[in-house]
Amino acid sequence: MSVFTDKFSATLPPPTRKSERWKYSPIAKLLNNEVSISTEAAQGMNGWPESVLPNPVLSLDAYLVVFKNGVFEPTLSDLPVSDGVDCIPFSKMDPSASLDFSNGYHQKEWIGELNETYRQDGLCLHVHRNVKVDRPIVIHHLTDGLNVASFPKHLIKVDEGAELNVVVWSSASERSSGMYNGLLEASIGPNALLSLEKVCNEGGKVFHFSHEHIVQERDSKLKMHTFTIKGDWVRNELEIISRGKGTDSVFNGAYLPLGTEHIDNHTTMDHTSSDGTSSELYRGIMYGDSTGVFNGKVFVRPDAQKTNAFQQNTNIVADRGAAINTKPELEIYADDVKCAHGCTVGQFDLDALFYLKSRGIDEKAAKALLVEAFLGDVLSSVSSTELSEEIMNLYTERHGW
Amino acid sequence: MLKINNLCAKVGDNEILKGLNLEVKPGELHAIMGPNGSGKSTLAAVLAGRDSYEVTGGTVDLDGVNLLDLEASDRAREGVFLAFQYPIEIPGVSNLNFMKAALNGKRAHKGQEPIKAKDFLAKVKECSSLVELDGRLRDRSVNEGFSGGEKKRNEIFQMAMLEPKLAILDETDSGLDIDALRVVSKGVNAMRSSERSFIVITHYQRLLEHIVPDFVHVLSNGKIVKSGGKELALELEEKGYDWLKEPSHDTSNV
Ligand SMILES: Nc1ncnc2c1ncn2[C@@H]1O[C@H](COP(=O)(O)OP(=O)(O)OP(=O)(O)O)[C@@H](O)[C@H]1O
Ligand SMILES: [Mg+2]
Repeated sequence: MSVFTDKFSATLPPPTRKSERWKYSPIAKLLNNEVSISTEAAQGMNGWPESVLPNPVLSLDAYLVVFKNGVFEPTLSDLPVSDGVDCIPFSKMDPSASLDFSNGYHQKEWIGELNETYRQDGLCLHVHRNVKVDRPIVIHHLTDGLNVASFPKHLIKVDEGAELNVVVWSSASERSSGMYNGLLEASIGPNALLSLEKVCNEGGKVFHFSHEHIVQERDSKLKMHTFTIKGDWVRNELEIISRGKGTDSVFNGAYLPLGTEHIDNHTTMDHTSSDGTSSELYRGIMYGDSTGVFNGKVFVRPDAQKTNAFQQNTNIVADRGAAINTKPELEIYADDVKCAHGCTVGQFDLDALFYLKSRGIDEKAAKALLVEAFLGDVLSSVSSTELSEEIMNLYTERHGW
Repeated sequence: MLKINNLCAKVGDNEILKGLNLEVKPGELHAIMGPNGSGKSTLAAVLAGRDSYEVTGGTVDLDGVNLLDLEASDRAREGVFLAFQYPIEIPGVSNLNFMKAALNGKRAHKGQEPIKAKDFLAKVKECSSLVELDGRLRDRSVNEGFSGGEKKRNEIFQMAMLEPKLAILDETDSGLDIDALRVVSKGVNAMRSSERSFIVITHYQRLLEHIVPDFVHVLSNGKIVKSGGKELALELEEKGYDWLKEPSHDTSNV
């Protein structure tokens, strides 16, 4: 049998509005239905829809690794990748050779437990010492079907001095519904670099949960971007732990929900060691009747002296029906630190809009210019121009600018 | 070219323009002077189509087109240009992209193809040399971090790029040093032609020595209360506005 259905069962209770972390992102609607979980290559409904291409960024010269409804798809994947990199799905590897680390998320959260219980597969990615991987690795999750659920978990280890760029992209056809529950854990060794772009571009009505947990050793660098292009209900959780001296963490994000879409970004930056810098910039434009949440925690532990932490969340509420709830949470236990943060919710700058229009630029084009400028600071740090251009194109196409 | 008839406008409950009349013929340059708060910038904004001002009466006709029916961008495409008293900074939008979008908007309106990159750059070069706008300023974000005088030069640069039919300059001289005033005036004079009209709002007769007006009007309490030739500016310089002010009915405006 390649598919089984289940009503989620877990020992932990599903989150409710009573919990502060889930107050603005209720999931009651998800709990009513049974979902189907594929265990073998998924065919989708009546064949795989052509609208969902296996390669999400054609212009990018990358290694592609494809999962359909959570199941690895070898015929569409470019494995193995270059020397010095172990990059194999768990289903295809000797378990004794597998990376094995876990942050215990499955014991803390219902979402995590579901992933642990129903996990199908995931990529085990290990970059050896001083290896600079020649091309980005694009992990593409495709979803198609009614009430389908997929439960990937990826492990990434970047050894000392190594460099890696990973893109985790998820797509879903318009007829899809169900759940995407994706976990990713990464460890970045001393002096190593991980660039990670997470893009959600899902049609249909999929509950999208993703949880990234990243541990940084001394002098390592993380460049992370979280783009929500499209998604009916999306929650991105990101946890970064700076465990060695002198780490640098840059994590940015953007979201432009339409209609009744819901977007939730929960981030945690935990400075446990000294001389670290972190810079976080999330920007969003809320259209229609969309709803949003931003919650950014920053911890600076007693040993994290000389930390420099910056956080900013800027929102534009474009339409009357839209709303976002934004909350910074800073807990600082060291005295010699620099922390700056700001969360704002505003409207399009009417003076700027009038200025542009007074030069003969119509309202739509003027807004597009302002949006592009607004997103510019987030897009400019993406690791390749092919990727940032594709993301901007998708926003442009979707919003009809 | 432009006929303003009994124009009335307000913001909230605050009536600012109270029956303003003005006619500008092709090629003419009209100066508008008047006390602070009399409604000069409001007139400029209403003509350019700022929708935070509510037009409560009157008509504005530009070569047979009822301007009041049009959105700001369509007025610009019909040939209206406003040089702002306080130009807006737009971080992240490059000056050049801005001008390209503006030019192409206008061209699309006339059924023309987007301008070729080469022609665009040539035009940029020509217009920026007209007002001696530093190349580095052109490449930066719109007005971001520009000095007051640089912003004003940028306004005239944009005017030169867009070649309007009717240019409204709102205190373009304020904040300019003596040399810059000369450069900007030279730019404006170079653009004067028998088909292009100007409304120049200023507080200083000094500007009108460089840019010589055909008519001078005094706007006070939302109306034109006096019109004359260029010698009126000299008279105002000497006597101030008190002798012209209408007794105001709205005490908050005194
Ligand atoms: N958006 C607004 N909201 C409230 N009041 C306004 C607004 N815009 C203009 N006003 C008021 O309308 C009146 C006219 O303002 P306006 O800017 O047109 O004057 P002005 O003649 O250009 O003055 P100045 O010489 O100081 O530039 C002022 O009393 C001003 O406070
Ligand atoms: Mg003014």
